[in-house]
Amino acid sequence: MTGLTFRKRGEPEERLDLSPLVPARLAGLSEREVAALPVGTSRMGLTVGDVFEVVGGDPSSICFAGGSTRFDRIGEAMQAGGIIVEGDAGARLGRAMAGGRISVEGSVQGHAGSGMSGGVIRIGGDAGERLGGPLAGEMSGMKGGTIVVSGSAGPRAGDRMRRGVISISGNAGADVGSRMIAGTIVVAGTAAGTPGRLMKRGTLFLCTGAETLAPTFLDNGPADLLILTVMARDFAAGEVGPVAFEGMAMRRLGGDTAVLGLGEIFLPC
Amino acid sequence: MLTRLKGGHVVDPANGRDAAGDVFVEDGVVVEAPQAGREADETIDCTGLIVMAGAIDIHSHIAGGHVNTARLLLPEWHRAFSSRPGETALSRVGWTTEETGLRYAEMGFTTVVEPAMAPSSALHAHLELADTPIIDKATLVVLGNDDLLMSMIREGESAGAIADYVAWTVSASRALGVKCINAGGSAAFKENVRQFGFDDVVPDYGVSSRQIVKSLQTAVRDLGIPHPLHVHCNNLGVPGASSDSIAATIKAAEGDPLHLAHIQFYGYGTEGKRRFSSRGRELAELVNATSEITVDIGQVMFGQTVTISSDELRQFAGSKQASPKKSIIFDHEANGGGVVPMDYKRKSFYNALQWAIGLELFLLIEDPSRVFFTTDHPNGAPFTTYPDIFALLMDRGVRAKWLDALPKSVVKMTSLPEIEREYTLAEIATMTRAAPAKLLGTPDRGHLGAGAVADVAIYRPGEDKAAMFGKAAYVLKDGDLVVRDGTVVKHRYGRALTLRPEADKAMKTRLDRYFDDRYGLSSRWFEVPDGALGREDPFKVVPCRA
Repeated sequence: MTGLTFRKRGEPEERLDLSPLVPARLAGLSEREVAALPVGTSRMGLTVGDVFEVVGGDPSSICFAGGSTRFDRIGEAMQAGGIIVEGDAGARLGRAMAGGRISVEGSVQGHAGSGMSGGVIRIGGDAGERLGGPLAGEMSGMKGGTIVVSGSAGPRAGDRMRRGVISISGNAGADVGSRMIAGTIVVAGTAAGTPGRLMKRGTLFLCTGAETLAPTFLDNGPADLLILTVMARDFAAGEVGPVAFEGMAMRRLGGDTAVLGLGEIFLPC
Repeated sequence: MLTRLKGGHVVDPANGRDAAGDVFVEDGVVVEAPQAGREADETIDCTGLIVMAGAIDIHSHIAGGHVNTARLLLPEWHRAFSSRPGETALSRVGWTTEETGLRYAEMGFTTVVEPAMAPSSALHAHLELADTPIIDKATLVVLGNDDLLMSMIREGESAGAIADYVAWTVSASRALGVKCINAGGSAAFKENVRQFGFDDVVPDYGVSSRQIVKSLQTAVRDLGIPHPLHVHCNNLGVPGASSDSIAATIKAAEGDPLHLAHIQFYGYGTEGKRRFSSRGRELAELVNATSEITVDIGQVMFGQTVTISSDELRQFAGSKQASPKKSIIFDHEANGGGVVPMDYKRKSFYNALQWAIGLELFLLIEDPSRVFFTTDHPNGAPFTTYPDIFALLMDRGVRAKWLDALPKSVVKMTSLPEIEREYTLAEIATMTRAAPAKLLGTPDRGHLGAGAVADVAIYRPGEDKAAMFGKAAYVLKDGDLVVRDGTVVKHRYGRALTLRPEADKAMKTRLDRYFDDRYGLSSRWFEVPDGALGREDPFKVVPCRA
C-alpha cells in the first residue's frame, strides 16, 4: 500500500504550519477531511487543499512531493510512522518528535529536531541554526534520537542537548555543542566559533579540527581509546553510518571548565 | 447623562443595602435617585442580576521590576499563550499590561494595588501601570531593608526624622502606602545570614526586625497614611518558624493598625511525619482576637505559576524547588528579590495542604472586613483563578469535591472538611469592596452610595459561582460601560491613586546629599513626574488623615 502524498500545487504565499500533518493526526480521516485541515498562518485561512493535491494512501507513511522553505513544523510531536520531503523544509522540522523517521532531500531551516526525544531525522542538504536546540526559555534541547545531516549545519547545533546523536557530514557553524548537557555530536568538517562553549558533559568529535578553542578547555593529550573504535563500529552499523573519526588518531580536550567541565572534545592528533 | 441600573439585587454592605433596587449614575459618579419627573437617559435592565461596587484587589504583583524579570525568565509561556490558549494557568493571565487590565475588568475588578514597588523602580512600575487599561491602580512602596532607614534607627534619630524620610519616599514614588518585606532579612542576607527572625539583628546595623517594623508603623501612623503598614513577615514558608514570626508580629502591633500580607504562607507547623502541618486554626484565632490586625490570604491554587518577591532571603532558599529549574535572584540595594517559577501540584502533600490552609484561614477568620481576598498574584496562583476561589468560599459542595481529589494524607491534616461556613454575597462584597476601600483610605469607592465613583460590577447569579464571578454581565468604570457579558467592549484608562504627604524641606536637602554620595545620582532620579507617563491625568491624589 502506498503512502499519503501531498503534492505541492505551487509556492505558498505565506509560511505554513504543517504540524497537523503527522500520521497520528491523519489516521482515520478521509481525503476531504485532510484537505480541509487549516495550515495557514495569516488571516487568509489556507487549508491543506489550497496548497496541496492530496493523493490518498496509508497515513503512516507521508510524502511531500515538492518542498519549500515555507513548510514549517513538519512532523511536530510525531510518535511513529514516516515522513519524506522531496525538496526543502522550513523551520522546526521534527520538533519534539518521539519516534518514527523524517527524511528531507533538500535543506531545512532553524530548530530542526528541536527537543526531540526519539526517532530519526535525515537531512540531505544543510540544516539551519540550532539543530536539535531548545526554543527560547526551554531547559533542554534534543533528549534522544538521531539526526544525520549530509550537508553543513548552522550555528549552535546541539545547543543544550541532553541525549542522542547528531552527525554532520559537512561543516558546523559557530559554537556547535554549546551548553551541552550530554549526548554525542560528530562533525566531519570543520567547526566554527568556539565549539562546546559552556558544555557540562557530552562528547564532540571534530574530525577536521576547530576554528578556535575556548581557553577553558584543557588538553588531555592523545587518546588512543578502545571506546572510540567501538563507537565508530556501532555508528557504522546503525542509523548514523560510517563516521570520519574511524581509525583516526585523536587528541582529547576536557571542558568546559567554566561550568561542570565533564565534557570532552576529540580532535585529530 | 443619567444612567439607571434598574431593578437589580443591590449588594452594598457599606450602605446597608441588600435588596432589589435601582442605582443611578451621572457624570462618572453614583447619585441619589432623581426627583420624580426626571427620566434616565439610559437604562440598563438589571432585573435578576446582582449589582455590586467594582471589586478591589489590595495585593497583586502586576507591575514593576520583578514582574518584568519574570517575563524575561519565562519566555516559553508567552509562546504557550499564543499557540495553546488556556493550556497553562499563567497563559490565561498573559503577561502584558493590556491583558492584566482586561482580565481584571472582565471579573468586575476596577482597582488593583501593586504591593511591592521598590523606590528605585517606581518610574518603571508607574509606566507599566499607566499602560494597564480600564482599572485604577495604586502601589505600595517598599522600605525596611534600605541603608538610610536602618542607619537612622541605629543612630537613634527621632520618629519625626524617620517619618520625613518615609513621607519623601511615598511622595516621590507616588505610592498609596508603605510595605516592608522581611524587614532586615534581605539586608542580613547580604551578610550571609540564611535564617532571620523577628528579634534577630541585622549585622553591621545592629537593628532588629522588630525595631524596623515598629519604626515604620509609627511613621505611617504619624503621617496619617490611611493604609496601615503592610507587612510581609519574616520566615515566610518555613514550617514552625513562619507561624512563630507572624504571631510575634501580630503581638507587636500593640493596638495600632497593621496589615499582614499573604498569611497563608505563615500558617505552617511542624507536626506529622513530614514535619509539615496546618496551623491555620491557631493563626485564625490569633487574628480574630487582635482587632487592630487586618490580613490577606495569598491562597494557593494548583497549576504552574511563578513566585515574584522582594524577599531575597526566602527566594534564595526557594530557588532549589524551582520548577522549571531556573530562577533569578537579585542581590541589589535594599530588598533585592527573586523570581522562582513554581508548579503547585494537587497530588503533592505540601501543595495540597497549602491550599487547605488558605481556605481554613478564609473561613475561620470571622470578620470579613479584616480578611482580604488575594492569591498574592502570581505567587499563590494567577488572579484568573479568583472565580474558582469565590466558588470554594461560597459553596461547601464545591469544597467537598476538591477535597475528594486531594491525597488522603492531606485531608487528615486539615480541619477544612469540618468547616461548614459558606460566604454570603454580602460577606463577599464586604471582603472585596467595602473593606478594601476602607483599608486603603479611598472612601470614593467600594460602595454604591451617592458620591462614590461609578465603578459597578453586575453579575448574573447562578448555581455555578465560578461562572458568575468569572464573567461579569456588565461592568461600569467611572460610569462608562466597559464590559458586557464578560467581554471588554470599551477601552479606556484608569488612574493611579497616590498620596502626597509633605516632607520637611531639610529632609529633601539631606536626601539630595545622600543620593549624591551613595548613588552618584540626584534624588530627582527617584521621583516619578506626571509628565513622564504619557497620560493626560495619570494620578488621583488621595488625602492623608488629618
